[in-house]
Amino acid sequence: MIESIISFINKLIYVPDSGMVHPGLPAGWVAFVFFSMVVIALRYTFFAYSSSENVNSFHYPIFNKIIKRIVTRPWILISLRLFAAIVFLVVIYAGLFGTPIPEKNIATVLTWTIWWSGVVISIFFVGSAWCAICPWDAIATWLVRRKLWKRGNKTSSLNLRVPKILRSVWPALLMFVGLTWLELGVGVTVSPYATALMALLMVVLATISLAIYERKAFCRYFCAIGRTIGVYSTIAPIALRPVNEKTCADCKTLECYHGSLDSGIDNTTNAKGLANIEPCPTHLVMGSLTQNTYCTSCGACSMSCPHENVSWQIRGVADEVIHASRTTTLRGRVDEAWFILGLVSLTIFHGITMMPYWEGAIQNFAYTIGDSGQLLTSFSAGMLVSMLIPIILFVIAIKLTQQLIKTKEEYKRIFSAFALSILPLAFTYHIAHNLTHLVRESAGFWNVVFNPFGINALPLGMHELHMRHMNPLVADNIIFAIQGLLIIFGFWLALRIARQRLYQIENSKNSNNFALIPILVFIAIISFADLWLLMQPMVMRM
Amino acid sequence: MFSGVFLINNVFAHHVLGRPSYSLGADSNTPPSMQVETQIGEYYVTYMAFPAFPKPNQNGRVNLYASRIDNGKTFDGEVLFKIRDDSWFSSKEEILGTQNIDDGVYRQGFVFSKAGNYIVTAEFQSGGEPYVIDFPLRIGEPGSIGPIGLAVFIIILALVAVNITQRRRLNRMKAQQHHRDNSEDET
Repeated sequence: MIESIISFINKLIYVPDSGMVHPGLPAGWVAFVFFSMVVIALRYTFFAYSSSENVNSFHYPIFNKIIKRIVTRPWILISLRLFAAIVFLVVIYAGLFGTPIPEKNIATVLTWTIWWSGVVISIFFVGSAWCAICPWDAIATWLVRRKLWKRGNKTSSLNLRVPKILRSVWPALLMFVGLTWLELGVGVTVSPYATALMALLMVVLATISLAIYERKAFCRYFCAIGRTIGVYSTIAPIALRPVNEKTCADCKTLECYHGSLDSGIDNTTNAKGLANIEPCPTHLVMGSLTQNTYCTSCGACSMSCPHENVSWQIRGVADEVIHASRTTTLRGRVDEAWFILGLVSLTIFHGITMMPYWEGAIQNFAYTIGDSGQLLTSFSAGMLVSMLIPIILFVIAIKLTQQLIKTKEEYKRIFSAFALSILPLAFTYHIAHNLTHLVRESAGFWNVVFNPFGINALPLGMHELHMRHMNPLVADNIIFAIQGLLIIFGFWLALRIARQRLYQIENSKNSNNFALIPILVFIAIISFADLWLLMQPMVMRM
Repeated sequence: MFSGVFLINNVFAHHVLGRPSYSLGADSNTPPSMQVETQIGEYYVTYMAFPAFPKPNQNGRVNLYASRIDNGKTFDGEVLFKIRDDSWFSSKEEILGTQNIDDGVYRQGFVFSKAGNYIVTAEFQSGGEPYVIDFPLRIGEPGSIGPIGLAVFIIILALVAVNITQRRRLNRMKAQQHHRDNSEDET
């Protein structure tokens, strides 16, 4: 029985005749993940809602002396920002003036193999901490404010309000689609020069946005990376939060929102924060912060708070998103819902383009429609179709759910509500996919650290390629175990959130579990697609 | 020779059509080569430059392979090679030569006196249709100050414009406030 299952799974794995590919999940792991998902699906469909599903979230502020000094003083953060900015400038310089061999230039290796792969994985451990040291924002801030960390003067920015039409995450979603197109279609990942141009473009956009709009509109509305980190970080086990919620509840001055005054002293209590600290770049009030989506971990709140009441908080993995699924009202944040749906589509699309047959399929399609050159028309068509399929399936699933629930809630509210449930699918697959890049393609990292511009470097020879291929940073079985468990975790979390959303919409503990079936089917389709992509061999990027 | 080219292709991982990729031959004494693959009309075209990073006044060679997508048959007409400077505001174009097929390959030699980014254009006719394919070729280590200069220029322009606008706005507000204060004093 087991042998026939393994044999059947092996038939689903496409083995290319030639070429360098990373191995996919072995059939044994695929079977384990599959049956785990079946058990979880049965449990959430046929068993009634139980009180044990109530969130017993723990949160523990880390506020010992060392952490207190780190979060209330700017120097460590500034040092990290300076370091990130210097590395970033080296990347630009290397991209423009270094070797064009992608695997021997620090611009491509650091940007795509280490940073872009690693930043998504880092969210699982440190939430949105990357945004705190982001060099795009750091350089833009220094250029516009002309201060290392304090408020800029009155002439440094026009401080205009962002036009209403742009006050959503639609611009960030469009930028994400654009970046994906450049990354996978135009091939920025294999061009140090194009990577450097992209980096320069980001700095220009961040600087202009900061010079024109109030606070940090680029981080809040436009930055695809920042918004991705933001939504994913709702699952992270760490976030900036109040140490004592009552202190925030009693606070009248809201330095976390407004920034601190010249003296930095709260006259009502004589408590003291740092003077002249910027207001929250994304318009958040710490006392009412329940979701990490827009927190950039910049530390302005922790430095300006006269009560030193803001610090890093350890909490259960996914507690925030589970809690949000139970408590947040069914707001009409359709833009956030679309952003999450966009992430689901784009992560799957990333996986598809790294399948061995993708290129052949695009070439055949290009030949049929008469596309030439870089085949960007064919690529764009493939990208559009790959993105549309999950979107159409989700739209249908929500429509069916609406009919089964028999609610008077508007479609867009249900759409937005259930979008939260598919967030874990995007996040876990994204980590699982990026893990392959990070541990299997970063073998030459130290070479580019010692020769960042690739002076006199030669392309990888066959022997070196094979050595890299055969020696990942982590043993194969560990990679497979992490990937398999991530897919199970994403599936479980998605179903749990979906069921709590259903309970919230129906406002009854005796909710109709069968109304969950359309969204469960959608979650299952996406999870199986993720699993299928992970079990296929993946083409090496460099 | 032809199969050799595709053997090298297979070594490459995520090669993107139309993007240069670099490889070492199986023989480690062979200098690295640069190659670009693309698809145009009825043909699959591979272009290779030897050496991968030619220097000014160094002899180099371009190899071009063109085969039909539908049946793999090699194109056996004439190919015209041209070259143009790829720098901004430059439209200089020169003919490198016209080549006939030799053992399945079109070979075109070159020597450049100046470092820079160039575009090699290969042109041929097949089935009454013109085929024009552009490939990049980098000679020496050309300066890439252009993008940095442009970025710095845009940033400085934006910052100066914002600074002037904001100063004017603040002066206007001060003047209005002053005017208001005077009016209140008079009343």
